[in-house]
Amino acid sequence: MSLSTQPLTPEIVSQEGNAMVLSMGPQHPSTHGVLQIMLEIEGETIVKAEPEIGYLHTGIEKNMENLFWSHGQTNAERMDYLAPSSNALCYALAVEKLLGITDQIPERAQHIRVLQGELTRIASHCVWLGTHAIDIGAISVFFYCFDLRENILDLQEAAGGARMHPNYIRIGGLNGDLPDGYLDKLDALIAKFPGRMRDLRGLLQANPIFQDRTIDVGVITAQQAIEWGVTGPALRGSGIAYDVRKAYPYSGYDRYQFDVPTRTDGDAYARFLVRLDEMEESLRIISQVRKDLNTPGPVAIDDPKVFPVPKETIALSMEALIHHFKIVSEGFRVPPGDVYSPIEGPRGEVAFYIVSNGENRPYRARLRPPSLYNLQCLKGMAPGNLIADLVVMIGSLDPVFGEVDR
Amino acid sequence: MPSTQQPPIAGAVVDPTSVRPPIDDATIERVDVHGVRARLEALKAEGYTMLLDLAGVDYLPRSPRFDVVYHLLKMPTAAASVQQVGAPQRFRLLCGVNDGEAVPSAIDLWPNADWAEREIFDLFGITFSGHADLRRIQMPYDWVGHPLRKDYPLRGPAQERSPRPSFGLKSNVLAGTPPSGRTLEALQEQVKKARAADRPEAERDGLAGGEPT
Repeated sequence: MSLSTQPLTPEIVSQEGNAMVLSMGPQHPSTHGVLQIMLEIEGETIVKAEPEIGYLHTGIEKNMENLFWSHGQTNAERMDYLAPSSNALCYALAVEKLLGITDQIPERAQHIRVLQGELTRIASHCVWLGTHAIDIGAISVFFYCFDLRENILDLQEAAGGARMHPNYIRIGGLNGDLPDGYLDKLDALIAKFPGRMRDLRGLLQANPIFQDRTIDVGVITAQQAIEWGVTGPALRGSGIAYDVRKAYPYSGYDRYQFDVPTRTDGDAYARFLVRLDEMEESLRIISQVRKDLNTPGPVAIDDPKVFPVPKETIALSMEALIHHFKIVSEGFRVPPGDVYSPIEGPRGEVAFYIVSNGENRPYRARLRPPSLYNLQCLKGMAPGNLIADLVVMIGSLDPVFGEVDR
Repeated sequence: MPSTQQPPIAGAVVDPTSVRPPIDDATIERVDVHGVRARLEALKAEGYTMLLDLAGVDYLPRSPRFDVVYHLLKMPTAAASVQQVGAPQRFRLLCGVNDGEAVPSAIDLWPNADWAEREIFDLFGITFSGHADLRRIQMPYDWVGHPLRKDYPLRGPAQERSPRPSFGLKSNVLAGTPPSGRTLEALQEQVKKARAADRPEAERDGLAGGEPT
């Protein structure tokens, strides 16, 4: 039998042969969100897997078309709730390209943007590693990961005022400088990190159960990865060292020394190793950025028509008051044009394709969701494997459903 | 201050993509719906091995109404180092398509076009010929309308607004939904009825004078 192209009802037992149609999710804890997979199985072997997405569709792109440019930032962050600053950076860079102010962003703002981007990468990988290990049965890893992530969320809260969605990176710069005491906390994190990574590696990397569950599971060859549009750690786990930070450096990434970790096996274990290495490379970048953070400087573009004036000037200057009123009541206008602006998010190439028609709202803002394409690869990867391995495959692709469904 | 000095364009009639030289590093080309398949095949043969993304844009009063935007990347298909990958070339192919026209599917060239095309079909109503499984992907299967079209209201069609659709059904076409009473027409009707039923002003003033009811 085959899966029909019509909407599938979660019928449990099929009519013919030993094949069976099983609906996994959308409330399954191992699907990392609201993913439903219609599985056609023979015994425990998957014959066909058809992921059903859209349970978290919120029309967030439609909403963005009706919000001011600066408000769209909020929506961009919500699309990837595990790495909000990364998406915020992507959106800000895209709009800055349309505005033509890319080269006017102050140095310090760029340093802090890189810092935020790398911190969210580590935080996102912590969630991935914790949940991935729990899926496989190693529960304690979760606590080590979430403890580390909590330190990063504290930093996010200190910088932006909110743990999960700091909304710190803005079009034209940052929402204020780093607060007092931030650098001490950052130093503490940098000091803590190597030991914690040693713990995580010690718990999993040579663990025979973990290796049994991940080696040769969910193999994606380089050819397949390219065909399915897979990017990020999943692509690098297949041997292709494509990293937007190296290929098209943005925000001054070309200033920093870092490697692009790759593995050639293309299985879940390779992706695991790539992500662990990536966390260490992120820390390498953070340590280099840390040295730059001692130099004070402005953190936002000096253009009151794009970036709000400092609040304390509003009561003192009439121009400032007018600028403030204009930017709050009608936003700013962006010259017409379209732009595709990619960055390297924790899951792969995140990009905004934005069309402006000269108004104070985006005409169309499309996020290229790396998770969507990575997850789609499951269709080609799952058949022939066991159901238990499907959980490993989903975990190793690290999908985020805010982004898949938008 | 580049942002505010240019006057805004009235309406969306102008195609924003044509009024400005490209500002990102992609090669940009525009084709019509008849030439898109041949062009895609040629690009695939040229080495654009990866379909990064497929985006739809609705330029409502324009003809052709929609743009389907292919983002392609020239990538090696075997293991490659950072130096070998370098800065791969990007290509952006814009294909204008009218409402009711079908775009040839690219699913045999790049299998990941599957979900991307389904999403554009779902949210814009653009069909893809040659796609074997073209059904909704984000919206529920029985949804009516295509939300990312510019003529689709932000809060959805009126009948869905009230009463609140049940999450269980996840649908905007509930059978037997009572008329909401909150659509514009219903509201106007209500006002008209209230006016007709209203007594003349003088009489009402008289009533207000204290006559017991």
